[in-house]
Amino acid sequence: MSVHAERKPLPAPDADTARLWEGLRQGRLLLQHCGDCKHVQYYQQALCRACGCEDLIYRPASGHGKVHSFSVVHRAPGPAFKADVPYAVLLVELREGPRMISTYVGGDPAEVTFDMDVTLVCEQISDEITLPRFRRAG
Amino acid sequence: MSHASLRGKAAIIGIGQSPVGKVPGRSPLWLAADAARKAIADAGLKKSAIDGVLSGHAFASPFHRFSVAFSEYFGIQPTFSNTLQVSGATAATMFSIAAAAIQGGLAENVLIVAADSLMTGLSPDLALRSLTESRDQQYEMPFGIPVANTFAMTAHRHMKEFGTTAEQFAEIAVIHRRHAQRTPGAQQTKPITVEDVLTSGMVTTPYHKLDCSLISDGGAAFVLTSATQAKAMGIARPIYILGAGECYTHEHIFLMPSLTTTGAVESSRKAYAMAGYGPRDLHTAGVYDCFTGTVIMMLEDLGFCPKGEGGAFAASGEITHGGTIPINTHGGLLSFAHSGIPGSLFHFHEVIAQLRGECGERQVAGAELGLVHSLGAGFATNATTILGTENTL
Repeated sequence: MSVHAERKPLPAPDADTARLWEGLRQGRLLLQHCGDCKHVQYYQQALCRACGCEDLIYRPASGHGKVHSFSVVHRAPGPAFKADVPYAVLLVELREGPRMISTYVGGDPAEVTFDMDVTLVCEQISDEITLPRFRRAG
Repeated sequence: MSHASLRGKAAIIGIGQSPVGKVPGRSPLWLAADAARKAIADAGLKKSAIDGVLSGHAFASPFHRFSVAFSEYFGIQPTFSNTLQVSGATAATMFSIAAAAIQGGLAENVLIVAADSLMTGLSPDLALRSLTESRDQQYEMPFGIPVANTFAMTAHRHMKEFGTTAEQFAEIAVIHRRHAQRTPGAQQTKPITVEDVLTSGMVTTPYHKLDCSLISDGGAAFVLTSATQAKAMGIARPIYILGAGECYTHEHIFLMPSLTTTGAVESSRKAYAMAGYGPRDLHTAGVYDCFTGTVIMMLEDLGFCPKGEGGAFAASGEITHGGTIPINTHGGLLSFAHSGIPGSLFHFHEVIAQLRGECGERQVAGAELGLVHSLGAGFATNATTILGTENTL
C-alpha cells in the first residue's frame, strides 16, 4: 500500500473553488448568490446553475442548518479513515437552502437524528485547507 | 412514437457469461474473452463477424480504452467501438447505444462485453481506488464518504419518510439468496434469514453487511444485430429491444433533487412510452440491487407499486416466483455476483434467458416481456431497457 493511501484525500482548490477554501480559512462558509435570478448555490462554480448568469455574489452562510439525512460509517473507506470510525456523515440542509456533505463533530455519532439543528464548525486541516464540519446547535 | 424509435429494430442473438464469484488467476480481459466467445458461439457466428464492440472500464485491468484493449486481446479489429462510463447504469446504456449504432448503420454485429476481477484481481492500491475514486474529491471524499454511504443516506431518508424498516431491507437480501440457490454457479447460495442480515455487522447505517451486494470476479457478453438480420440468420429466439430511457439528475449526492425519488421515474417512463407497455404488462425484471434499500426504491420508481410501499410490497412475496413481478431470479448483485460494471449485465443475461425460456427450475412460466434497470453512483445515473420476444413486437 502506498503512503498516499494512509492519508485522507484533501480538496485541491481550482479556478472554480479557490474562493470557497479561502473563505473557510477565514472561518466563513461562502455561498454564491446569483445577482440575476437570486438562486443560492453550493458548491462553487463560475456560473449560476439555474440561469447561467456569471454575476455571482459571495456571502457567508449563517452556519445554521438541519440534518436532512445521515449515515454512520462503521467500515472505513480505506486505511486513512480507519481511526475515525464510527463517524456520522451528514447531509446538511443549510438555512439558505443549499445542501452539503459534512461530518458530525463534538458528540457521539449515535446522537445524530433527522432534522436535528446543527451549526458550522471550521476545522483547520492544513495551511491551505479548512473543512466545514457541523456540531449540534445550542 | 417517433419514426426514429429504436423499438424492435435490434435483436439480441447471443448471450454468454464467464465463471463468476471467486475466479483466481484470470484477468478481466480473459473473463471478457471467455464471455464473448460463448456469446458469439450462441449466436452461431465467428468472431470475424463482429464489427462493433462496446465495453465498460475494469478496475483490475485499468486500460483507458478497455474496448480497444479487449479487441486486441480477442483478435478482432472492429470498425465501431467505445468504452462507456456512467457507473452502474453503463450496462443498460450499452444496449441502447448498440441498437442505435445498428439502426444508424455504424455496425452490423455489435458485441457488448464487460468483465472485472474485484475479488481476486485488485492490488491494495487498486482496491482503494475502486472504493473512493468515483466520489468527488473536493466536496465528498475529504469527509470519508464512499459510494455505499450515498446509497445508505437515501435508504435512511426512505425509512424516515415512509416508515420502511430494517426488517424489510433484510427481506430483500433473503429473497435474493433464495433465488441464487436455483442458479448454477452463483457466488452465495447459503440460506440466510432476516435475523442473519440484522446481525451481520453494520457497514454504514442503515446497511448491514448482508444488505450490501457482493464483490466478485466475472464478465458477461452479448451479440446484437438488426431484427432483419436476425430473421435472415434463422435465430430461434431473438430478443428485441422494445424501449430504452436514461436520466441523470445530479453528480454530487447533495444535489440529488429528492433522496427518495430518483431518475428511474423518468428513465422508465421514457422506456415504457417507447415500448408501448407499462409496468403491469411485464413478466419479469432485473432491478439493480447494489443494496437492499435500492431495490425497494426502484420497485416504486419503476411503477411496480406506489411510492413509499416498496418495503411492504417486497416483503409480501410480490417480487419472487408466483408474485406480481419476479425480479432478479438469478440472485442479483446481492447473491449471484457483482463485479462492478458487468454487474448489471448479469441482470440482462438472466432476463434474456428467462424470455428465451432457458431458466430451468427458476423459469418464470410464459415470460415474454421483461425490463432491466441499471443505476449507479448514488442514483446519479439511471437507465432502463425493455426487452421482449417476437410475440411482443
